[in-house]
Amino acid sequence: MTGDVTALASGGCHIFSGCGFPAPGLQDFEWKPLFSIGSFDFTKPMLLAILAALVVIVFFWVAFRKPKLVPRGMQNLGEIAILGVRDQILRPSLGRRGDSYLPFLVSLFFFIYIMNVMELIPLFQFPVTSRIGFVWPLVFIVYFLYLYLGVKNQGPWGYLRNMIPPGVPAPIYIILVPVELLRFFVFQPFTLGVRLFGNMFAGHLLLTIFTIATWYLLSLSVGLLYAAGSFALAIFVFLLETLVTLLQAFIFTTLTATYIASSLEASH
Amino acid sequence: MSGKGNGAGTRYTAARTTAAEGRAEGLNVGWTVSGYLVSGMLAYGLIGWLIGRAVHVPLLLPVGMLVGLAISIGFIIYRYGVQGAVTQPQTSAKAQKEMTGDR
Repeated sequence: MTGDVTALASGGCHIFSGCGFPAPGLQDFEWKPLFSIGSFDFTKPMLLAILAALVVIVFFWVAFRKPKLVPRGMQNLGEIAILGVRDQILRPSLGRRGDSYLPFLVSLFFFIYIMNVMELIPLFQFPVTSRIGFVWPLVFIVYFLYLYLGVKNQGPWGYLRNMIPPGVPAPIYIILVPVELLRFFVFQPFTLGVRLFGNMFAGHLLLTIFTIATWYLLSLSVGLLYAAGSFALAIFVFLLETLVTLLQAFIFTTLTATYIASSLEASH
Repeated sequence: MSGKGNGAGTRYTAARTTAAEGRAEGLNVGWTVSGYLVSGMLAYGLIGWLIGRAVHVPLLLPVGMLVGLAISIGFIIYRYGVQGAVTQPQTSAKAQKEMTGDR
C-alpha cells in the first residue's frame, strides 16, 4: 500500500472539517518495494506468500516429525487438518482411490487459506490472493495436473473425446466442440482464478472502506453515530471475511479435486 | 447400548458423507452449467462475428450468441435435466462405504 490513504485518514482528516473522504481504491493494492535487487522489487505480498508457505511447511513438519500411534499435541491438530481435507474435500469427489492426492490437496488448501487469512491478522492485514499474480500460478499448477492426469489415464484422443459425455448424437457432438473447448480451456481456468482473487479483493476493499470510514466519520457531533455504524459494519465484514477466507480455499480445493476426479475417468 | 451408539454414529457419518458429496457435486455442476452458458454464447458469438466480418453482416454476432445460448441451454437440459445428474448424484452405497471406511 502506498499509505497515502491511511496517512490522510490518520492525519486528522474527519467529516465536517472540509476534508473529503479518503476513499480506498486500487492504490491500496499497490505496495512500495521493501527492497530491490536490480530491477526486481520485493514487496509485502511476496513476503506474506513466503511466510504462508513457511507456516504450512513448519506446521506439518512439527506435527509429523515424530508421529506417534496415539497422537498428542501438534500431531493431533495436524491429523484434524488432514482428515478435514480428506473427508470434506478429497473423498466426496475422488473416493478412496484419490488418497494419493491428499498431500497435494492439503498443501494447496492450507497454502491458500493462510494467504487469505493474512487479511485478518494485525500487521499483515493483506490477503495475498487479492493480487491476481499470486493466483494464476496456482491455477496453472492445478490445470497442468488436470490435463496431465487426463491424458495419462485416457490417452490424448480419448481425453478430448471424453470431454463431451458419451451417448450424444454425432451432429450435436460437432456442435458442442467449440463450446466445450472454450469452456475447458478458457472459462474454467479463468473462473477458478478470478473467483478466488475477486472475493479476496472485494473483501479487503470492504474492510478498508469501513475501517477508514470509521476514523473519518469520528467527530464530536452526529458523526460519532455514523462512525459507530461504520465500526459495526467493519466488525460484520471482518466476521464475514473469517468465513470467506476459509470458504474460498475450500471451493478452490474442492474444484481441484473434482477436476482430478474427471481426469481419472471419463465424464458421465 | 454400544450397538445403538454405533448405529447412530454410522448414520451420522453417512449423513455427513452424503452432505459433503452433495456439496462437491453441487459445486461442480453449478460451475459447469454456468460454464456452458457463457462458453456457448462466446463460442458461437465468436463464430458469428468472424462470419459476419467476412460477409459484412454485423447481425451475425448477436445471432451467433443467441444460437450459442440455445445450444448451451439445450445441452444443459439434456445432460442435467434428462439424466437427472443433479437430483441423483453418483452416490452409491459403494462410494459411501469407500468414504466412511478406515480412518
